[in-house]
Amino acid sequence: MRDIPLSRAAPLAAALLALALAPLLAGAFHLRFLAEILLLGTAVMSLDLLVGLGGLVTLGHAALFGTAAYAAAIAALHLGGNLFLVLGAGTGAALLMAALMGVAIMRSSHLFLLILTLLLGQVAWEVAFHWREVTGGADGLRGLPPLSLGPWRLDGPRALFLLSGGLALAAYLLARSFADAPIGRALVGAREQPLRMSALGYSIPRIRFRAMLAAGGIAGAAGSLYPFLNLYVGPQSVHWSLSATMIIMLVIGGVGSLWGAFLGSAIYLALQTYVSAYTDRWQLFVGLVFVLIVLLLPRGLAGGLTGGLAGSLAGVLSRRGRP
Amino acid sequence: MGYAIVQTLNALSFSALLLLTGLGLSVVLSLMNFVNLAHGGFYLLGSYVAVLWLGSGAPWWLAFPAAFLAAGLAGAVLERFPFRRFYARPHLMQVLLTYGLSVIMADLMRWGFGAQILTPELPAALQGVVFLFDMPFPLYRLFLIGAGVALGLLLWLLLDRTLWGAVLRAAVTDRGIVETLGIDTRHLFAAVLVLSAGLGGLSGALGAGMLAAYPGLDEEVLILALVTVVVGGLGSFGGTVAGALVVGFALTFSKVWFPEFANVVAFSAMAGFLLLRPNGLIAPPLRQI
Repeated sequence: MRDIPLSRAAPLAAALLALALAPLLAGAFHLRFLAEILLLGTAVMSLDLLVGLGGLVTLGHAALFGTAAYAAAIAALHLGGNLFLVLGAGTGAALLMAALMGVAIMRSSHLFLLILTLLLGQVAWEVAFHWREVTGGADGLRGLPPLSLGPWRLDGPRALFLLSGGLALAAYLLARSFADAPIGRALVGAREQPLRMSALGYSIPRIRFRAMLAAGGIAGAAGSLYPFLNLYVGPQSVHWSLSATMIIMLVIGGVGSLWGAFLGSAIYLALQTYVSAYTDRWQLFVGLVFVLIVLLLPRGLAGGLTGGLAGSLAGVLSRRGRP
Repeated sequence: MGYAIVQTLNALSFSALLLLTGLGLSVVLSLMNFVNLAHGGFYLLGSYVAVLWLGSGAPWWLAFPAAFLAAGLAGAVLERFPFRRFYARPHLMQVLLTYGLSVIMADLMRWGFGAQILTPELPAALQGVVFLFDMPFPLYRLFLIGAGVALGLLLWLLLDRTLWGAVLRAAVTDRGIVETLGIDTRHLFAAVLVLSAGLGGLSGALGAGMLAAYPGLDEEVLILALVTVVVGGLGSFGGTVAGALVVGFALTFSKVWFPEFANVVAFSAMAGFLLLRPNGLIAPPLRQI
C-alpha cells in the first residue's frame, strides 16, 4: 500500500474535523453560507484542474455549473427532489455540456480559448435567459421541492451543510487522484511542453477533452446541489460574470493548489457578504484585494501559506536533524 | 431594397465603433504582446467625459479630444504602475491584473458618475435623420461610420507609414538593437499604451451617442472588442478590420432575421468562425501544435 504523506493527511484530518464541528457550533445562517462556500469552492477547484494543471484559462465554467443547476432544478420540479436523481440529472447535463465544450477547445489555446469558451458560455446563458417555458427566463425557477433521500428530507441548514461538505470532500479526493494519475501528469506536460508531448505520442486534443470532462463532472455535481440551498435558480448562475468570479476566487486562493479554491471562495463570499453590509463599494474592495494578490502573491494565498509554512517547517526540521 | 441598405449601414456603423475600440486593444496586443482588459474602463471613461462635456455647453466637437485626453491620462498613470512591470509576464498574469483593475475602475466610475443611464445631448449638427431610398437613417450613425474609417486610416498611416511607426515596429522585433541606436524604448511603449487608452476613450465618446453610458457597459464593450480582435486574428490591422465587420454584421443581422434568439445566433456564428479558423480570420501561418 502506498503511504500517505503526513503533509497531505494532516490537512485532510483538519478538514474532516472542521466539517464535523461546524454543525455543532454555527447557526443556521452561517451553515447555509458555509454550504455555499463549499459548493462554489468545489466548482472553482474543478476550474483549477483546467487552469492550474492544463493552463487552459476558460471563461465558460459557469456554463457547466449553471447547466447542472438548471438540469437538477428542472428534474426536481418534474420528478421530485430525490438526491440521486438530482445529482444524476445535473452531473449528466454538465458532462454533456463539457463534452461539447471539450470538442470545441481541442484545437484552441491562449486568448482564442478564452474567447471561444466565453462565446459558448454566453450561448448557454442566452438560452437560459430566453427559453421562458422551460427555464423561467429572467425570473429563474422558484418553488423547488426540497432534496430527499428515501424517507429523509434534506432541507435543513445542517443537512445541506453536511451534504455540501461530503460532496466537496469527495470531489477533492477525486480531483486529487485525477491530478496524480497519468492523465493529470499528461495535462501538465501538455501545458509545459506541448511539442515534446506530441512527439512522445500523446494526443493533446484528447488530453484536453478528458480534462474538460473531469472538470465538467465535478462542477456539475456541485452545481446540481446549488439550487437547493435557496430553492431557487436564476440565469446569473450561467452568466460569464460568474465564470470571471470563479477565476477571481481561484487566483485569490491560489492557482494550482486544489484546496486553495475553497479558501478563495470563502474569502470572496465573505468580502461580498460582510463588506457589502458596511459599504456599497465592496466591488472596489474585491478588486483591490485581487490586484494586490496578483501583484504580491502570484501563487495565491495557498501558495503563500504553504511556501511560508513549508519554509519554516523545513527550517525547524533541519535544525533538529543536526547533530 | 431600402430596408436592406439601412440595415447594412446599421451594421457598418456598429462595425466602425467596434473597429475603433478593437484597434486600441489590438495595438497593445500586437505591438507589445500585452492583454489589456482594462480597455473597457477606458471606453466607459471616455463615454462619461463626452456626456458631461456635451451637457456643459462647451463647443461640442471638443468633447472627443477631451475624452481622448482623459482616457490617455488614465492610461499614462496605469502604465507607470503597474502595467509596465507586466509587459514581460505571461498572458494569464496580464489578464488577471488588468481584469482586477477593470473591476476597480468600474466601481470608481459607478461611485463618481452614478448608476443611472446617461445619454448625451447631441449637438444640432449631428441630430436628426437622413432619408435613403425613403427610409429614415440617423445622421449620427453616418458620422460614426465616417469617423471610424477616418480614424482607422489615420492610425494605419501612423503605424505603417511614418518614421515613428517604423521605430516602433523595429522595437517590437528587436528591442535591444533599437536601444543601441539611442532610442528609449520604454518611452516608446508608454506612448503606445497612452495612444491605445486614448483611442479607447475616443471610441467611448463616439459610442456614447449610440449606446449611452451606464455601469456594466465597460464589460459589454470589452467583450465585444476582445471578440473582434480574436476572431479577426491577433496582431494584424487587417484582422481587426475583418473581425469588426464580422461581429458588427453578425450582431445586426441576427437581430433582423432572428429577433427572438438574436444573440444565440450571433455568438454561435462567431464561435463557428473560431472553430473553423482557431487562429482568427487573418492570421500569419503558424505551425499547429
